Amino acid sequence: MNRKEFLQQLSFLSGGVAFGMGGMSVKAFAHNPFSIDMEATNGKILVLVQLAGGNDGLNTVVPYENSLYYNKRANIAIKKENVLPLTSQMGLNPAMAAFKDLYDKGKLTLVQNVGYANPNRSHFRSTDIWLTGSDAAEFWDEGWIGRYLTKLYPGFPLQIPEEPMAIQLGSVESLLIQTDLGSTGVVFSNPTNFYNLVTGTTIDNEPVPETLAGDELRFMRQVATQSVAYSGIIKQKWDKSLKNLYTYPTTNLASQLKIVGELIGGGLQTPIYLTTIGGFDTHANQVVANATNTGTHANLLRTVSDAVAAFQKDLEKRGLADKVVVMTFSEFGRRVSQNGTMGTDHGSAAPLFVIGSGVRGGVLGKNPALGDLDGNGDIKFEYDFRQLYASILQDHLGVETSTVQGIMGGKTFSTLPIFRQSTSGYVASNQEFTFDQSGANPFTTYTTLLYSLKKDMYVKISLYDMMGREVGTLKEGNMAAGVYSEIVEGSYWMPGPYLCAMKCDAGQKVIRILKA
Amino acid sequence: MPVWDVSNAKHLLSRCLFGYSRKDLDKALSYTTLNDFVEKELLADRPLPASPGEWVTEVPVNNSLEGDRYRAMTYWWYDLMLSEGTNMREKMTLFWHNHFVSARDKVNYPQHLYIQNNLFRRSAWGNFRQLTKDVSIDPAMLIYLDGRLSNGNTPNENYAREIMELFTLGVGNYTENDIKQAALAFTGWQVNGLNAVFTQNRFANTNKTIFGKTGNYKHGDVVDLILEKPEAAEFVCRKLFKEFVFYKPNESFVKQMAEVFRKSNYEIRPVLKFMLTSDEFFNPQYRGAKIKNPMEVTIGMLKAFDLTSEQVNTTNDWPYIYTQTQALQQQLFYPPDVQGWVGQRDWISSTTFVTRGSLSDYIVNTMGNAKATQFKQINTPVSYARTFKTSEDATKLVDDMVGLFLQFPVSAAKKQSLLSTLLGSTILANWSTSTPGADNQIKALLKAIMRLPEFQFA
Repeated sequence: MNRKEFLQQLSFLSGGVAFGMGGMSVKAFAHNPFSIDMEATNGKILVLVQLAGGNDGLNTVVPYENSLYYNKRANIAIKKENVLPLTSQMGLNPAMAAFKDLYDKGKLTLVQNVGYANPNRSHFRSTDIWLTGSDAAEFWDEGWIGRYLTKLYPGFPLQIPEEPMAIQLGSVESLLIQTDLGSTGVVFSNPTNFYNLVTGTTIDNEPVPETLAGDELRFMRQVATQSVAYSGIIKQKWDKSLKNLYTYPTTNLASQLKIVGELIGGGLQTPIYLTTIGGFDTHANQVVANATNTGTHANLLRTVSDAVAAFQKDLEKRGLADKVVVMTFSEFGRRVSQNGTMGTDHGSAAPLFVIGSGVRGGVLGKNPALGDLDGNGDIKFEYDFRQLYASILQDHLGVETSTVQGIMGGKTFSTLPIFRQSTSGYVASNQEFTFDQSGANPFTTYTTLLYSLKKDMYVKISLYDMMGREVGTLKEGNMAAGVYSEIVEGSYWMPGPYLCAMKCDAGQKVIRILKA
Repeated sequence: MPVWDVSNAKHLLSRCLFGYSRKDLDKALSYTTLNDFVEKELLADRPLPASPGEWVTEVPVNNSLEGDRYRAMTYWWYDLMLSEGTNMREKMTLFWHNHFVSARDKVNYPQHLYIQNNLFRRSAWGNFRQLTKDVSIDPAMLIYLDGRLSNGNTPNENYAREIMELFTLGVGNYTENDIKQAALAFTGWQVNGLNAVFTQNRFANTNKTIFGKTGNYKHGDVVDLILEKPEAAEFVCRKLFKEFVFYKPNESFVKQMAEVFRKSNYEIRPVLKFMLTSDEFFNPQYRGAKIKNPMEVTIGMLKAFDLTSEQVNTTNDWPYIYTQTQALQQQLFYPPDVQGWVGQRDWISSTTFVTRGSLSDYIVNTMGNAKATQFKQINTPVSYARTFKTSEDATKLVDDMVGLFLQFPVSAAKKQSLLSTLLGSTILANWSTSTPGADNQIKALLKAIMRLPEFQFA
């Protein structure tokens, strides 16, 4: 197969569009016979709510019996009589009545003191750490969700699923869904506007020049391709969903979650959603003097708690609450001691919330140890944030333990008892044949491909580089039913990702392998 | 020294200006060398522009006029960008606005951001040491990063952290303790009306230890201490490189820039000149590699259509640009957070990419449209095509238009396809701007050119 033929096939794989200069109607994306199985998550969905700016954990979950809290925060502490008690020692900010209600019903799990070792107090650096799942000293450029999705859909980007892998409500794409292979999600604020804007967009598949500029063009084309590929199905599912089953508040975050609820209600199978609310960088005047249950921070917490509670009620009315879990997160908590401007400076560990019908409820972790702070006067972390990620991947989205480890860069993070029941690992989508890689990925010299055939059939296993060039045929011919392994020698390959495609009479599966 | 030819001139203008017109390009090429052009034109000093209104000197009072005035000031800046000619001062003003970030969500009164904006314009290529000191007690900055509230021995760390992390050194080049100590040195300043005022009894009048040195430092001393660290010059030069050359910095070239910067005691003009006349800047790898920011997209489009500042209808045209650049995620005086606009790939999401396409379609659709209410002064399609000497030769016209609108190299196949778009149902030999329907064919071509992802690159 030469390059041109490959590209023709590629266009087939990515939705049946004959990409051509200016000629293609955007609505022409046809049903894709090779679409990747969207059921791999068992229909489970994760909705992330990012609290940008660094949420003050101590005024969110208040240690209302701790005199150190009241000493260090003389002007901004939430008074004991105002908190909404969860336990005999900790209570929610009074603005979070909706979360208190979810907690009482066992639909909210509070996880205390979530952070990481050697915390960074820069908004931007710490946000990157949370979004990529790296250690404090590691600089990664792929989001943890992006890495999860490229595992879930190994044919990406040559083969993209029929429905978006991830949706971000907003305008500026988050690192969360970016990967070295391109963006794994689409970003929009309103399905109809998005659909209308996409009209007229054209894309082509002319090879890009091998320059730095060419890399940027490739990136842009890929974003364009996904806009074209997905605006239709998003609109279609959104149109058919029932609206206004539950009245959401009128805040921006609530509007984002309302759209998420409607998309899920319309049957969109996208497993990941990201919503965002900003304004948590409360250096000054986070509370009103002498009325600390009011002010900027209380308003933000009310917005989050009311919006998420409305989302939960909406999903319950739709009968979909078992499928979905919401997790809040923020780049850091804030300093234990107040500063001189009725606010708090950047800190470290903080509580976060996991909400859904599938959670166990209750509290994980202790009240922050205010008498045992780090050298900077900040709370020491009790749980690594990646334990939360691992728990959600494994126990909610049904990712196998070994795969979770791969997503987390080879590190193991013990899971937390957040969910009532762990789901088992996902089931191979094709029963007629299987095709996988075993051994280390990335590999240095050898790797092994494992495949099985239920009956006799014709098999071809080919290897492509990420430019779509076929670089070798590893196996071709008629083979008997059985289980096979094929050792691939890659010591002379250029480092980087490769796609390995197995085609047989029963279908096709693509996996990505990585040469170190 | 790189040669001064059309190709290099286009590259330089597209990076240093908000797009350019054919007149601008001719003017640039009327200089005989790159050096001449950069020195006498691109980096030439100019008088400051007239203010957006008398209100800029009004002592702030809550009178509900802030929204309208912010809008007027934004239009005023659009106008300065459109009328910048071949001088890069407005580009540098935006660079500093995006470096020393303050934003209107916290700075209620446009007067304060006007003062700051003019500080950036005045210091566009002045002295970085002085600029950093000025910014540290600039009223808008004192408001935006809470300096005005910070007081005595329990200071607010907001400004102290961001000056080190985002304005001068970058993460990893200071300790948490340096921040806490510097926060003490920045205390004492408040905002009174339009002015920054120092109140001795709000100042932490004690010794501070910063980067291992101890003294009763004030705000200017902290800036001097910071600039003793070699990381500072590299940090600022890296940011200049990322803005004007490529977002992935060539570290060895950044080091060369930093050396020039330090040797000139942080004068900005020499390092800009060094960068803009270097072989590195003109490296073919970088041609068309910069993703235009929304101001470059919109103002650049108007310039390519030869629209001048005098021809803009402020009531109808600027509100459209305002709404569109907002949708494209760049509202002037309103960067998203203290880091500013990250730029390059951050400009492009599934939504903003398609919004860029609908924007160019919209502007082209106003051409020669009697019912259109905006951009009435842009030529009709045929008259616009006839401003190209090659208007009657379809192949050459496509070449010329592609050459004006696109910095990214375009293949022969793609030009061929654009040519078919222009010709529609006619054949090459029959092309003429007098053909019935030529208006629509030219519009189709212009839309197709600007719908190419390549159009988004400078």
